[in-house]
Amino acid sequence: MVHVYEFMWRVLHVLLHIHRTLITLFRIRLRNWNGQLWSRAIAALLVPIALSFPKQKKLVPAPGKRVGRRYRWGADGKSLEKLPDHIGLLIAEEEPRYTDIANLVVWCMAVGISYISVYDNHGVFRRNNSRLMEEILKQQQELLGLEGSKQHSVEFLSNGTDKQDHQVLSCQSVVKVLSPDDGKLRIVQAAQELCRAVEQMEKTAKDINVTVLDSLLRESKTTPDPDLVLKFGPVESTLGFLPWHIRLTEFISLPSHVDVSYEDLFSALQHYASCEQRLGK
Amino acid sequence: MFINCLFIGICLYVSLMYVIRCNACISTGVSEFFNMSWIREGELNLIEKLSANILKAGPMPKHVAFIMDGNRRYARKRHVERQEGHTQGFDKLAETLRWCLNLSIHEVTVYAFSIENFKRSKDEVDGLMELAKQKFIRLLQEQENLEKHGVCIRVLGDLTLLPLDLQQHIARAVVATRTHNKCFLNVCFAYTSRHEIANAVREMAWGVEQGLIKSSDVSEALLGHCLYSSNSPNPDLLIRTSGEVRLSDFLLWQTSHSCLVFQSVLWPEYSFWNLCDAILQYQLNHRPLQKARDQHREGQALQQHEADRACVADLLQHHGNGKPLDAQRRQEALLNYTASREERVQDFLGALQHKRDSFLTDLTSQAALA
Repeated sequence: MVHVYEFMWRVLHVLLHIHRTLITLFRIRLRNWNGQLWSRAIAALLVPIALSFPKQKKLVPAPGKRVGRRYRWGADGKSLEKLPDHIGLLIAEEEPRYTDIANLVVWCMAVGISYISVYDNHGVFRRNNSRLMEEILKQQQELLGLEGSKQHSVEFLSNGTDKQDHQVLSCQSVVKVLSPDDGKLRIVQAAQELCRAVEQMEKTAKDINVTVLDSLLRESKTTPDPDLVLKFGPVESTLGFLPWHIRLTEFISLPSHVDVSYEDLFSALQHYASCEQRLGK
Repeated sequence: MFINCLFIGICLYVSLMYVIRCNACISTGVSEFFNMSWIREGELNLIEKLSANILKAGPMPKHVAFIMDGNRRYARKRHVERQEGHTQGFDKLAETLRWCLNLSIHEVTVYAFSIENFKRSKDEVDGLMELAKQKFIRLLQEQENLEKHGVCIRVLGDLTLLPLDLQQHIARAVVATRTHNKCFLNVCFAYTSRHEIANAVREMAWGVEQGLIKSSDVSEALLGHCLYSSNSPNPDLLIRTSGEVRLSDFLLWQTSHSCLVFQSVLWPEYSFWNLCDAILQYQLNHRPLQKARDQHREGQALQQHEADRACVADLLQHHGNGKPLDAQRRQEALLNYTASREERVQDFLGALQHKRDSFLTDLTSQAALA
């Protein structure tokens, strides 16, 4: 009997994987075939299947050229009820595509988000920090043009410059690259610092509370906690992303960052704008 | 031939999805009489048993955490009092525990009351405290039943924030079920993850003050052992109901590599099929998460090793006589240091456990005297 259950389990999982693959295939096809009628027909077919996994965002085809819509981005941002102050881009996939990440960062900037963090759980972006920065600057030129790039300036934060208070001017964005070391390891380092202070009789154990720990873990007094994290990839987990900072963060999952479109990003932002936070009340 | 198989496969799949979705959509309705007990007796029906057995053929989570959200919205939807929503939420908890046992999930953690919830109206907070008190009193009355099922109840949070009588009831319940070890229910009451982490750091600082450990002994593993949840493994699966997609300060440290499932059903309407759906998600994510967890553990071990090395190098510099030691001596010194560090840490953790146990037994003796 056990073998029968095992067999049925395997069948179930094979079917689920086929379903996932089909969804990905159709998604890529939809992108390439701009035919409205065809995409609507496929969407109608996929909707009942897609409903099986409501957590996956709806897959919107990307009509039109990206560059031509740049003037709408700022207006789009202002049209939303609320915009996150700090957005996190969590890449939970094996191979990061720098161009796509750069596009996402530039769109976030254009829409008016002040703080943008990019994270992957292998620390790839941290190791290739300069490559990502170059890519972002390049895409900024391409997507926003020369005028737009002057209007929207971007500042890159690396570990050395953390403690300064940043005055974020309007139309200026701060981009930070994160890795798992910024998560639990950072908390442990803060704990060691506090324990050393206790060892040297500068503090007592009773002095340690949430506020003290928070001030040590805060990038600077002005950097807010992430309001929204967009997770790209099939893995349903935070994968070590800033455990301390994500207590009130909304998590929105998108299937993949590969060939992601502005519409995908904007629909996620619209979803965020409709979330109601009761803060315990 | 292939087309036929594919066709049958698709039919099977569609019908299974239909069954799961259909059942998940049917609300469980208000039960005629509600068993106010913590344990719902009862077995699964045939279809449920079949599905459970199929799921159990794959990897199953050993520890599931629930954020039981949606009681108030449920009450609004049903046009009943808020308090009624919370009561039904509790009943649903009892039912869910029964399902978990049927699915061989032996550890469940639930988020019952957050420190942020103290911000609610006095009436609602008092109502919740009263409900909790009744439930813990009832728990003590059901001791035989709990012993039969081997249920160990733990309460995680800053109990000093609660009214004293509730603290005493909780302490009695925890102490009474302490030795049970077949299944574990962790109730987070007066809890937020940040308070838990700050408390863990405070405990380590206390250890330093008492001379039990050094500040260089502080590590990720040690911090994990100082959390309220130190006696449990990390949750494999975290489920949040009512459609909200945030963690709300719940188990932020422990769920860094857990499978997160956000479901839109309201908690009092949670069904067996919703649970199966969540477990299916867990099974789909099992391998990549296992890989990520193993990688993290390896990184942690490496960091500890490097930290030990640095400490040993420091010690040798300060206590040595200037002559460089050969590799073998250095290796010996490293092994000795690691062994002594581990011993210190064990002694400290023993003292911490003793402190926590004493707190609870003091409360129970207060309650006995009262």
